[in-house]
Amino acid sequence: MSDESLLTEAAARLFGDLAAKRNDPFTDLWAPVEEAGFPLLLVPEADGGFGGSWQDAFAVLRLAGYHALPLPVGEAILAAWLLNRAGLDQPEGLATIAPRIDGVLADSRFTGSVAGVPWGSEATAILAVLDRRLIVLTGSDATRIEPHENPADEARDTLHFADAAVASAPCDLDLTALGALIRTAQIAGAMDAALAQSIAYANEREQFGKPIGKFQALQQNLAVFAEEAAAVNCAAQAAFAAAGKYDGAAEFEVAAAKLRANMAIGVGTSTAHQVHGAIGFTKEYSLHPLTRRLWSWRSEFGNDRHWSGILGGRVAAAGADAFWRNLTERSDP
Amino acid sequence: MTGAMQTFRVSPFNPPPSALGLREDIRAFIKQHMPPTEAPQRANCWAVGNREFSQALGRAGYIGMIWPKQYGGHERHPLERYIVLEELLAAGAPVGMHWIADRQTGPLILRFGTEEQRTRFLPRIAAGELYGCIGMSEPSTGSDLASVRIRAIPDGDGWRVSGQKVWTTNAHNAGLMIALLRTGEPGGRHEGLSQFLVDLTDPAVTVRPIIDLAGGHDFNEVFFDDLFIPGDMIVGSVGSGWKQVTAELSLERSGPERYMSCFALFLEMMRRAGPSPDAAMTQLIGRLSAELWTLRQMSMSTAAQLAAGNDPMLEAAIVKDLGNTFEQELPRLVQAAADADLDLSANEDLARLLALLLQISPSFSLRGGTREILRGIIARNLGLR
Repeated sequence: MSDESLLTEAAARLFGDLAAKRNDPFTDLWAPVEEAGFPLLLVPEADGGFGGSWQDAFAVLRLAGYHALPLPVGEAILAAWLLNRAGLDQPEGLATIAPRIDGVLADSRFTGSVAGVPWGSEATAILAVLDRRLIVLTGSDATRIEPHENPADEARDTLHFADAAVASAPCDLDLTALGALIRTAQIAGAMDAALAQSIAYANEREQFGKPIGKFQALQQNLAVFAEEAAAVNCAAQAAFAAAGKYDGAAEFEVAAAKLRANMAIGVGTSTAHQVHGAIGFTKEYSLHPLTRRLWSWRSEFGNDRHWSGILGGRVAAAGADAFWRNLTERSDP
Repeated sequence: MTGAMQTFRVSPFNPPPSALGLREDIRAFIKQHMPPTEAPQRANCWAVGNREFSQALGRAGYIGMIWPKQYGGHERHPLERYIVLEELLAAGAPVGMHWIADRQTGPLILRFGTEEQRTRFLPRIAAGELYGCIGMSEPSTGSDLASVRIRAIPDGDGWRVSGQKVWTTNAHNAGLMIALLRTGEPGGRHEGLSQFLVDLTDPAVTVRPIIDLAGGHDFNEVFFDDLFIPGDMIVGSVGSGWKQVTAELSLERSGPERYMSCFALFLEMMRRAGPSPDAAMTQLIGRLSAELWTLRQMSMSTAAQLAAGNDPMLEAAIVKDLGNTFEQELPRLVQAAADADLDLSANEDLARLLALLLQISPSFSLRGGTREILRGIIARNLGLR
């Protein structure tokens, strides 16, 4: 048994248990994830981390998505990796990342706000990139916290700071791209889980005297759903491989993967709900933790317009004659 | 639910060290040997034949790349072959003459054929001189392959055959057909089918063109008029035709040709759009790039599985259907997003490519297994039915 399968088995077991208790308080759910060491997945063993690869991170985050885990596992993994890479200390408690920052950094002090922060009100540390510097805000320094939730009830908070002391280090990475990367793995998992639920339901639910999964119309729709789920899984995994190859700076692959994932969500969620009929639309049934996350994640860390603009702009600027050469160069050894 | 179902197994595309420099080699070869082509010929180029170019590829060792040297092959790695194929398709090179022989005829003979068949046919295929076609469809047999009716009736030390095959791509160029014929009782299904090598130069064989809606000639009708097939031209054993046909489907369904048929149009659209197009065109280029990049990853992953000796039936069906959907949507999207003054009657590259592909793209989800058949395969593999 490889380390990777040990890791994914541990993740699947823990995430499955936690997902069953999804309405428990955040701190109760988060503690076992932290104890198991998942946030330190990408931190080298020499620095007290797990020493995992980006492929390991894909496998773990895909499972987090599969179980619709209401926790910032990906954000914490990224934060720990960024801190380690910048030579900054790992804080006690949750470190998360901020998708948006607005304010001024001067003399290691920050005044302004961060928004859309996953579980920002629970975080000890919030990482953001401002003017090509990674800055580390201390959650307890916030002068005001506005709690917000995305449509899947996941905390996406705004925190305000006034003349707060921050640690900082130079950073040439795009935090939006890194955030998008972790979302692609979660989307891959959630798509597969919604597909699995839909197939199970279609084989079990009977109408007109037979399981509805026997009808060709449903079979063909579910096949298309499977194709889209396959595309997201393949794209996300390739983007993580590129992140490993380019030390996190895989903007081309991330742009392509997040855009492809966003494109797949429409087919996946609409087919899942169509197959399930009215039951899938209820609060008590287990489909919406997946589909509401998928709809939310489609906006987070770059919607279709954001990534198609960046990717299309980059490709067009390089020109038609460079397209194939650039594409193959990035994937060749 | 710890199993966490995953429909598509992802395998890394890791060519051997000998592949280093191969991409540059084949690019240099294409630059030197690819004949001057009109823009429309660079689209769907694996259906565009050029004898001299195929022979040049054969001489350079780019056909039968993975076959044993004793049969004229070059014992390269399957992923090296993949690199060569995608470079040829990206360049829009006319590879249609030998495509089927390299992809299907040769591998079938190598896998199921006799030593004599291998020695006799493979070196000429690898040289780019002998081309192939696949005789499966009949007037009453399309997607339902098991309904093949033409019988091969034992006659002395061989077989007698009369009947008609149809939609036979490349039969007008090919010297050799792999024919799926019924050797069992009439009316049987999978069990009574066998595969034969048919010499298309035999006077008992007549090939007639079928012209497609755009005026192109890929398809043919092939008539057998009391044709005698020598006993040593059966491939594999009597009755194993179905098993052999289905064993090779993954090989033909997941290759780069399943998503690159409109690649030339994509490039031409970008060429015309220039380095800083408007927002709508920029976003379309982004979207198509994302889809193309993803399909390439999926096709490469499936190639890696095939190279490892697996049979990725499900993955191959997914690659083909998604790839065909992409290459069918591309002409429509280009037409919708092009400059308002793009005139389909104009004698310029983008218009000519688009006009051709609008017309021939419906065939992409017919050839090699229809969309509905593929989705049925996917559904069955998902545990539906």
